[in-house]
Amino acid sequence: MNGITELVIDPVATTGVLSAKLWIRRGSGADPLGQRGGHQLLGSVLSRGCGPLDHVQLADLVEGCGAGLRCDTHEDGILVSLKCTQTDAERLLPILGWMLQQPHLNPAQIALEKELSLQALQRQQEDPFQRAFDGWRQLAYGQGPYGHDPLGVPGDLESLHHDHLIALADRLNDGGSVLALSGTLPEGIQTILQSYEESGRPEKTSHSPDWTADPGQPDSSLTLNPVETEQVVMMLGQATLPHGHPDDLALRVLHAHLGSGMSSLLFRRLREDHGVAYDVGVHHPARQHSAPFVMHASTGVERAQLSLELLMKSWEELLDTVIAKRDLDLAMAKFRGQLAHASQTTGQRAERRAQLRGLGLPDDHDRRCLDQLDNLTGVDLRTAARQHLKKPTLSLCGPSSTLNRLESVWGNGPFPST
Amino acid sequence: MGLCHGTLTAISSGPPLEYFTFTNGSTLVSADLPGASLICLDFWCRGGSFWEQSGEEGMAHFLEHMVFKGSERLQPGDFDRQIEALGGSSNAATGFDDVHFHVLVPPKETSAALDLLLDLVLHPSLDEGSFSMEREVVLEEIAQYRDQPDDLVFQKVLERCFPKHPYGRPVLGIDSSLKGMNPQGMRRYHQRRYQGPNCCLAVAGAIPTDLISQVRGSALTALSNGADPSLPNPPGEGSRSTEQLPFQSGRECHRFPRLESARLVMVWPTAAASDPIGVAGADLATTILSEGRRSRLVQRLREDLQIVESIDMDVTTLEQGSLVMLEACCPEEQLERVEQEINQELLRSAEEPMLEEERSRALQLVGNGYRFSLEAPGSVAACAGSQAVWGRQRQLLEPLNDLELWSATALQEQVMQRLQPDQAFTLIARPAETT
Repeated sequence: MNGITELVIDPVATTGVLSAKLWIRRGSGADPLGQRGGHQLLGSVLSRGCGPLDHVQLADLVEGCGAGLRCDTHEDGILVSLKCTQTDAERLLPILGWMLQQPHLNPAQIALEKELSLQALQRQQEDPFQRAFDGWRQLAYGQGPYGHDPLGVPGDLESLHHDHLIALADRLNDGGSVLALSGTLPEGIQTILQSYEESGRPEKTSHSPDWTADPGQPDSSLTLNPVETEQVVMMLGQATLPHGHPDDLALRVLHAHLGSGMSSLLFRRLREDHGVAYDVGVHHPARQHSAPFVMHASTGVERAQLSLELLMKSWEELLDTVIAKRDLDLAMAKFRGQLAHASQTTGQRAERRAQLRGLGLPDDHDRRCLDQLDNLTGVDLRTAARQHLKKPTLSLCGPSSTLNRLESVWGNGPFPST
Repeated sequence: MGLCHGTLTAISSGPPLEYFTFTNGSTLVSADLPGASLICLDFWCRGGSFWEQSGEEGMAHFLEHMVFKGSERLQPGDFDRQIEALGGSSNAATGFDDVHFHVLVPPKETSAALDLLLDLVLHPSLDEGSFSMEREVVLEEIAQYRDQPDDLVFQKVLERCFPKHPYGRPVLGIDSSLKGMNPQGMRRYHQRRYQGPNCCLAVAGAIPTDLISQVRGSALTALSNGADPSLPNPPGEGSRSTEQLPFQSGRECHRFPRLESARLVMVWPTAAASDPIGVAGADLATTILSEGRRSRLVQRLREDLQIVESIDMDVTTLEQGSLVMLEACCPEEQLERVEQEINQELLRSAEEPMLEEERSRALQLVGNGYRFSLEAPGSVAACAGSQAVWGRQRQLLEPLNDLELWSATALQEQVMQRLQPDQAFTLIARPAETT
């Protein structure tokens, strides 16, 4: 484990609350061939014994303080979250360092977490939105790093054993990590953090963005997941850009225009104008590589065709039409508002700081985006859309007879030749 | 109940709440968070699904949708556009007891947002065309809900626990009642429930110095004080005692399509929201039983025996009597063993003394849960509004004092002995057999 741990300290006046976020730059996207789910499994056992504490002692310490400790594996990294009172921070913060550097990887605990993961994977299949997104992800990313759920796939998970996790743990901090603290900091914070290899920001960030990764072209533009539900879930999208890419801001403004809030285009068009869907929106998370940009909606079978046509029309307009000045101003206002909404709690603040460093972006990335916002024009948005959104793919989940009907609607539309 | 000396670490005061009651019975509660970058305005009304009459099933939630379709002054979509153009956001939620509508905006927009929110909520246009269109949206919402097996299990449990009580009905309503509704009926429901004594505005953020005078001149204070005794469900009617909640204990097995893992759900009635000490006891007991790896049920069933994927208990605080719900997810073949082990743990909790360290751990977990949930203006406003609308004028962290009143012995004798299998409604949910 050669990587360094960068520290980001963000003092905030609170009622004695501290949030710590440790972002380790190895997520499910780094799962080796045949070991999909490996990093999630590793992440889940980090808190099942590390440093001087076995799994019982660790749970006793954390729960005895009334603290929250969780570990979530994402595509680009493992995020360890600790929330505690200022008075307990001295006892609890060292745990994060132990999880990173001295995990026990007890075989019995690995076996337990593996079984829990397999059951969770099975239960996910109850949700038609999960099924539809699984289908879209497979279509868009194939065998690439983002082609599977961070939880993994059952066959690979079943074959994972202690030795695999030891190998993954050995490389866990190869890419480095970031520890961000927001809230009321305990006295002597620097002493507490001495166990980390480096404090303060390194002169040169150890990790810079990689904007070259391309998932390649999907083999098909459509995937169907037949299941006997009342509604059809539709996901129309494309693998696009890394967070921080020069064109990323334009896509984020388009995201705000299409899917943020009740004044968004999809909400107005599908809900208010046609009443065909309740839950409509855009999924566009921040990613190190090609982030999904996915419109989604779910509609009863009788009106599913209309919903699909409206989604396709909305996508096509991004390529063909320059957004009206009024809508552009509204989208920009929403983008600004989202930044304020996303930094209300110490947890949100710490996570954003850890994420930015984790992705190799400057701490003031969001402020720079705000500075650039006023220079964006409607034509810029269309240009970005034409470059990055020209070949969407579609995933449908619902009753098979309806899917067959929608397949021909898609086939006769503007995008099936992808 | 045995009085205990507190062991909570450093109870901080939290932002103080200020209350003001207007002459029509409506309430304003505010929490000043001077550094907050957003301010939350949260309008609460005692207008949840509990208050619906025959033929109105789903009306409270449908009205929540219709409110956003415009007012006498605002065209459909105007409110959303104006709030979001201010860099703000809005949303709403309908529960069994109450409904609330909230906006988050930068502090300098407080006055404009207050005007827009109260106009929208208190003077909805309930336009015929919008009504028909929005009903389709609600029907899609219900269909989406029916496609989630987890939600179907949850609804089935409530239906069986409360066969003759509004808590047994889905808040979203049912297709047939929604299709029978019209704007006139919705107007009557609105007039019946949205009256001064039933309404509260909670504000959290950087509070303007003239907030009270702004609200005094708003649509909130123009509401009727609800003095008409001929109205059914007179406004101001509040919580009832737990004993009045017609809870049905029992045990049933059902199969659900597309369920991928089995569920075991148990429900018990517990103290109503108007009894915060009773609710605190239920919070502590459920935490001892199922919060964290060292809790009794998680340790026994997930960590040691490894027969469940998850096991959780929650307290749903309600005005007519709260609920404790337990849910275990497990492979179908483990169901029998899971039920047996849960029952044994519950019996043991009733019969054997509770360790002081278990009580202390629960005190920290529940107490910090309160503290940690009060960072954002939206959370503070929701916490304040959900209490104030029912006439409970408490400070935010007063529940911490309620927790400390519970000794280990009192928890065992007064809470654990009620959370027993024979007093629960138990639902065994199995995946439907594939043909």
